[in-house]
Amino acid sequence: MLFDREDDDFGSDAATRALSVTAVETDFMARVYAKQACWYDLWFGPTLHHGRLVAIEHMGIAPGDRILETGFGTGINAALYPRNCHVTGIDFSASMLDKGRDRVEQKGLRNIRLLEMDASHMMFADDSFDIVYAPYLISVVPDPVQVVKEMRRVCRPGGKIIVLNHFRSASPIFSRFERAISPFTVHLGFKSDLDLPGFLAQAGLQPISIKKVNFPRLWSLVTCIKD
Amino acid sequence: MPVDAELLEILACPNCKTPVTLVKNGTALRCGQCHRVYPIKDDIPVMLIDEATIEPEAG
Repeated sequence: MLFDREDDDFGSDAATRALSVTAVETDFMARVYAKQACWYDLWFGPTLHHGRLVAIEHMGIAPGDRILETGFGTGINAALYPRNCHVTGIDFSASMLDKGRDRVEQKGLRNIRLLEMDASHMMFADDSFDIVYAPYLISVVPDPVQVVKEMRRVCRPGGKIIVLNHFRSASPIFSRFERAISPFTVHLGFKSDLDLPGFLAQAGLQPISIKKVNFPRLWSLVTCIKD
Repeated sequence: MPVDAELLEILACPNCKTPVTLVKNGTALRCGQCHRVYPIKDDIPVMLIDEATIEPEAG
């Protein structure tokens, strides 16, 4: 059993229920992240780094692998990838991507290319990547299910789809708190109440593992294999 | 990393799912089907429909 939450007062059919109480538009988030570009690494760097390290481990990257990182942002993961793989990073925010480009250049990471792109409408052909990774992105985008559909489309059969994110707690008390603050946390750049079972059901994902990461263990690393 | 042949091989227009080609001396990408031209700014292709211009004769 991958999760054990009982249905609560907002529970209904996982395949149809709202994934969050908060709805955001892409332009809204783009504005939030334009302001955040300068201090993102300070706020979300060390606190979320354990999850990034575990995610890289779980990828099992082989030499020559083609990796797509959606939500590349300031390039905080850039130096974690082995130099013998090919990384494509995309982000909707030009401000964040400017920081990402500076980091890639400063570190001389010639195996990384960047594109400004909407993760919910990617411009890649089907089956283009061996590993498709969304670190701390799914709670930022307006339509997480559409993003995962795109991630699945561009991942080759047998490739890995990896989602690293905070999801709503299994505890009813914490869960209600996360729902209550979600309309406020979106101004910091994320929804705090994304529903993991609903997300998996609606995205049609069948994970091979779900691992709790970071301290405290409020974030999940969801690993799937494309059929 | 600039736009290379490998990237061009997998890039497709979201509007019509057809390949794009480098145009304007390598400073933009163009879809041959819908004629949208996507700029490349500081080595980063901006692959957003809203940022594209429609240029039937771009080359």
